[in-house]
Amino acid sequence: MTTATPQATGEVTYLEAISQALDEEMTRDERVFLMGEDIGQYGGAFRITEGFLDKYGEWRVLDTPLAESGFVGAAIGAAMMGLRPVVEMQFADFISCAFDQITEVAAKNHYRWGAAVPMVIRAPFGGGIHGGPFHSECPEGWFFHSPGLKLVAPSTPYDAKGLLKAAIRDPNPVIYFEHKFLYRRIKSTLPEEDYIVPIGKADVKRVGNDISVITYGAMVHLALDAAQMLAKEGIDLEVVDLRTLAPLDKEAIFSSVHKTSKAIVLHEDNKTGGIGAEIAALLAEECFDSLDGPILRIAAPDTPVPFSTPLEEYFLPKTADIVTAARTLAAY
Amino acid sequence: MELADVRNEIKRGDLLQMYFYLRLTRTLEDRITALYRQGRIVGGCYTSHGMEAIAVGYASALERDDVIAPFHRDMGAFLIRGITPGEVLAQYLGKRTGPTKGKDGNVHMGDLKRGIIGFVSHLADNLPVATGAALAFKMRGESRIIVAGTGDGGTSRGDFHEAMNFAAVRKLPVVFFCTNNQYAYSTPLRLQMAISDVVDRAKAYGMPGEIVDGNDVAAVYLAAKRGIARARAGEGPTFFEFKTMRMHGHSEHDPAKYVPPELLEEWKTRDPILKAERLLVALGYGDETYFHEVGERAKKEIEVGLEFAEKSPLPEGPEVLEGVFATDADITHKAIHSRSAA
Amino acid sequence: MATDIIMPQLGESIAEGTVVKWLIPLGGAIEKDQSLLEVETEKVDLEVPSPATGVLNEILVKAGETVAVGTLLARIDNTAPSEVVHRVGGVVVRPVELAAPGEEHHSPAVRQLAKEHGVDLTHVKGTGTGGRVSKKDVLEFVSRSAPAGNASPAAAERSMGEEVLPLTQMRKTIAERMVKSRQTSAHVSTVFEADYSSVATFRAGRNLTYLPFVVRAVTKALRDVPIVNSSWGDQGIVVRKDLHIGIATALEDGLLVPVIRHADRKGLTQLGKEIADLAERARTKKLSPDEVQGGTFTITNHGGFGSLFSTPIIHQPQIAILGVGAIQKRAVIINEAIAIRPMGYLSLTFDHRVIDGATADQFMAKVKDYLAQSHWEQIL
Repeated sequence: MTTATPQATGEVTYLEAISQALDEEMTRDERVFLMGEDIGQYGGAFRITEGFLDKYGEWRVLDTPLAESGFVGAAIGAAMMGLRPVVEMQFADFISCAFDQITEVAAKNHYRWGAAVPMVIRAPFGGGIHGGPFHSECPEGWFFHSPGLKLVAPSTPYDAKGLLKAAIRDPNPVIYFEHKFLYRRIKSTLPEEDYIVPIGKADVKRVGNDISVITYGAMVHLALDAAQMLAKEGIDLEVVDLRTLAPLDKEAIFSSVHKTSKAIVLHEDNKTGGIGAEIAALLAEECFDSLDGPILRIAAPDTPVPFSTPLEEYFLPKTADIVTAARTLAAY
Repeated sequence: MELADVRNEIKRGDLLQMYFYLRLTRTLEDRITALYRQGRIVGGCYTSHGMEAIAVGYASALERDDVIAPFHRDMGAFLIRGITPGEVLAQYLGKRTGPTKGKDGNVHMGDLKRGIIGFVSHLADNLPVATGAALAFKMRGESRIIVAGTGDGGTSRGDFHEAMNFAAVRKLPVVFFCTNNQYAYSTPLRLQMAISDVVDRAKAYGMPGEIVDGNDVAAVYLAAKRGIARARAGEGPTFFEFKTMRMHGHSEHDPAKYVPPELLEEWKTRDPILKAERLLVALGYGDETYFHEVGERAKKEIEVGLEFAEKSPLPEGPEVLEGVFATDADITHKAIHSRSAA
Repeated sequence: MATDIIMPQLGESIAEGTVVKWLIPLGGAIEKDQSLLEVETEKVDLEVPSPATGVLNEILVKAGETVAVGTLLARIDNTAPSEVVHRVGGVVVRPVELAAPGEEHHSPAVRQLAKEHGVDLTHVKGTGTGGRVSKKDVLEFVSRSAPAGNASPAAAERSMGEEVLPLTQMRKTIAERMVKSRQTSAHVSTVFEADYSSVATFRAGRNLTYLPFVVRAVTKALRDVPIVNSSWGDQGIVVRKDLHIGIATALEDGLLVPVIRHADRKGLTQLGKEIADLAERARTKKLSPDEVQGGTFTITNHGGFGSLFSTPIIHQPQIAILGVGAIQKRAVIINEAIAIRPMGYLSLTFDHRVIDGATADQFMAKVKDYLAQSHWEQIL
């Protein structure tokens, strides 16, 4: 469990933590600047950059035209010229417009000719907000597959702030998946002083002995709820919050499963070809001798995210799914 | 172009330098073509044969700290920026001593220290990236500019339009160009766009545009200078359509039978090297002897480069795994900020 | 989809009922109309059938509790497994068949554990799904079959009256060394009584404890009886020329023996300072490895808490160790009169392989005499 350092003040939401990280980094480092649609005058679709235009001026808080490929490409160029752009995708779903620039230019640049691209793309992802197919997507799977990109997905305000700072300070292109469902639903106190959460390190949010639940994003909270329920039945879950999706903290994943011998991989993204598939394969390869049961995956079915409430409820993984799976696996 | 204009506006030394680079580019690419036909170069082989004046012209108009975001028909620009023929040949031969150490091939080269943004095969991707570089210059109050371009085919892609638009909206110090060589692989202009002059697009995005004879190195040079001056003065982007003809196939494996032979015949008479020689003779700056001498110099440089490339080692298998991620050491801020500080 | 189970009204005037027993465990599957729980009222005892098929997901009222009619007792989750299949992959939806004897399939973890502990899996009872042998089953089998004498602390039964303190590295090392030393040397102890009066007189007003004086007396005595400063060797007894005196120092969790090198060349004040410094650094774990090695003789000051004499264990590869007991004012006979003197016992444990009692006593007599002598100012 990450611990808050002393002198914490007040509680901030997940969204406020992101805003704080941006504000502090922009103050700390004049190279950091923001690009995105409606982030300046309007303060951002989710109000994350409210007040930033007045504070930092229109040349550090750029309202861009509706052209994701164009402005992600521009961010790449600016990053190569020594600046630190943080690009906001209004919704992660629109990142597909910039897929080409991200995967062909940003991801491959350093490998091919040694030019670093210290760029961050913030992508509000995930469903549960009646957003439908184009405002609820989890696109991390596509980028997981591109060597040269780093991907992070915080689940708490503490991690959200620390990971965004780490992403901004990293010399590589980082896609920062912020879960919009968590924006105002979780709060916590944060340290006053500057801190980062290192990229590439998972966090055991709940220590347990019977089953490892490996997960990230909003699903971490479902896993913790399930753990509470299961504890009453004597089933002790260990919840491993990946925090970074690429590069995966294999050491944390393996050491957890070596201990418990049983694993559930949980994510909101579609099941087939999601990151969970890679984790399941890694567990089979590296932890085979420690396994005392099949590796279970809990994920959304292979469909676009539906709009109508009963459909979306059916689509999204639920606490009950985790409980059922854990009970069966525990008894195996 | 009036002779008097050329005499007044271009220094003799600069023009002779440009001629040298025309010859160097031609000789280098002919050599590459030969090596390809001998089977010693593998993979794609794209040259700028017959179009050399564009890259040589615009690259000659730059200051040291300016940057370029070229595409694959800009070999002359690479040479002028300081990539040696040896490095180019090492790159083509997949050697470890090329600018990408064997990670990428042919003209896919880049080097921030020499102010070259390495391009990808997805045409027009370089244009938004160029606007970003220009944005950085403007944000930091630098007087640097960037020249970036693509072919006629490249202007059909969304990235071309998004880049032009963004540069104009924010008045960024970019000089855009389109090397309209009339064919995108086998696609003639009439199947690529409904307009006849790519320059029409400039107005649509709110920037001035000009048509320039792409085979006249002096014209290209002076045009580039105009665009660059505007950019440096904070007046925003300019667009140039350099009209030319693709004299070889899309790549050296392409016989380009789809190009009407009469078109090629006509454009042969407008060869950029011939044009440059006629110009130099008219100005009294050079003669046959001089041209021959320059040709020999170019040939010699290529030979030296080839020897270097041939002696260079190939990379070894495990090197595949290196360089996926950058470290803080790669952010060579001084070189990025200003080449003179590198 | 959940179905509520409420306390039924089992008679017109009945207002409450008692849950006697839940017939299905929490998380268990239940069919519609299958008996779910036993309920008791004033008038009647009966089994309540389930209104739905599903899984008993929540039990809110435990067995033995009495509640009003209509109270929510439990919930059944009737999400059919097929609805879950799209989200949950794996064993949840596949029925696990009972393995035929001889066809048992063991998981990798089970096989690995069985190999490590030399377990024949055919002897292990399986409590997993379908009678499968699980990791837990193997671990329990191992702990049960461990013979009593060799029961590891992990396998032993825990009774309420015991607490197990894990062994620290230091404790393990001390244990090993102590036992080994006793097995190596022929331990014999001899006790002398020393008169510390002249030491006490000399000490007054000086910043010195008794220990530097003991060290000084010991070094002089070792020069007189050099064989005490030796080691047992295969070729013969190795008599050492240098005097490196170890001072046994108690720590919070064990002990260390830092060494004063060439103690014979050091004056009392210097000895005092060094003893204090080594002790401090031993306690704060700031000693370097060579400061705890190379001793030729050891002194253990066990009198600190009142111990009078002891039988210390020799610090290998030395052949003797001197225990310094508590210094107390005692009534002694001097010149046929009773005098009050500060006295203390000195206990020497020696290795009888190397020296005999006579030699040991000879050495001790010297130590005693040196302590009693009065010209300490000559050897500051």
